[in-house]
Amino acid sequence: MIEPLQTILIVVSLLLAVAAGVYVALDRSPDNLLVGLAGLLELGFLAQAVIGIVQVAGDDDVASPVTYVGYLLAALVVLPVGVLWSLSERSRGATAVLIVAALTSAFLVVRMVQVHG
Amino acid sequence: MAEAGSTRSGLGRVLVAVYAVFALSATARSGVQLATKAGEAPLAYTLSALAGVVYIAATLGLAEVGPAPRRLAWAAVGFELVGVLTVGTLTVLDPELFPDATVWSDYGQGYGYLPLVLPFLGLAWLVRTRPRPEHAT
Repeated sequence: MIEPLQTILIVVSLLLAVAAGVYVALDRSPDNLLVGLAGLLELGFLAQAVIGIVQVAGDDDVASPVTYVGYLLAALVVLPVGVLWSLSERSRGATAVLIVAALTSAFLVVRMVQVHG
Repeated sequence: MAEAGSTRSGLGRVLVAVYAVFALSATARSGVQLATKAGEAPLAYTLSALAGVVYIAATLGLAEVGPAPRRLAWAAVGFELVGVLTVGTLTVLDPELFPDATVWSDYGQGYGYLPLVLPFLGLAWLVRTRPRPEHAT
């Protein structure tokens, strides 16, 4: 089951990855715009975690609830850690960390949809 | 540019990030598998857990955490290379060996062969950032 929120999360994650890619290409460090986008995305993941856990706690038929909740929680950690690790140095490589974090976030949503069954 | 000898700088940041993702996913996945269905494929899940520990060690080593991070990184990435080649070859030769997939099965095919590429990148990075003799620490 794919919900509108999950579609939005995937699209915004990929958007963040592309935006970070542009920053890397231009050799610009992440600014408020890029970090703001990551923050907005994180709010979306927070909403997803709350909704998802409420659903699992109810009698929603999730194929493997433990794994599903694991993915919900893992997705909360990826962006903040990625942003911190990215901002702690000014270099192309550091900015590129945001690409990794964004792609991982998108991948986690895809896995969640698969696991939810 | 990476400062001489630092494995966590420049491109190393990306490498550490990718290793961290693998550390998190392999550890979490095998943890769930061992906790919920350890009996189904104990060897495969234990191997996944071992891979998770190796990825954690590689992440910490490359991120320069701990007393001898470079040595830790060499050991972890080296083990990772041997692991993915051994498990990859065994699973290709005998697909029935493990009832359930591990990170290293079929040379990491399930993860876009990243588990096969990653140790080579890690070793290359360790060689490239190797401290020069005159700056030896």
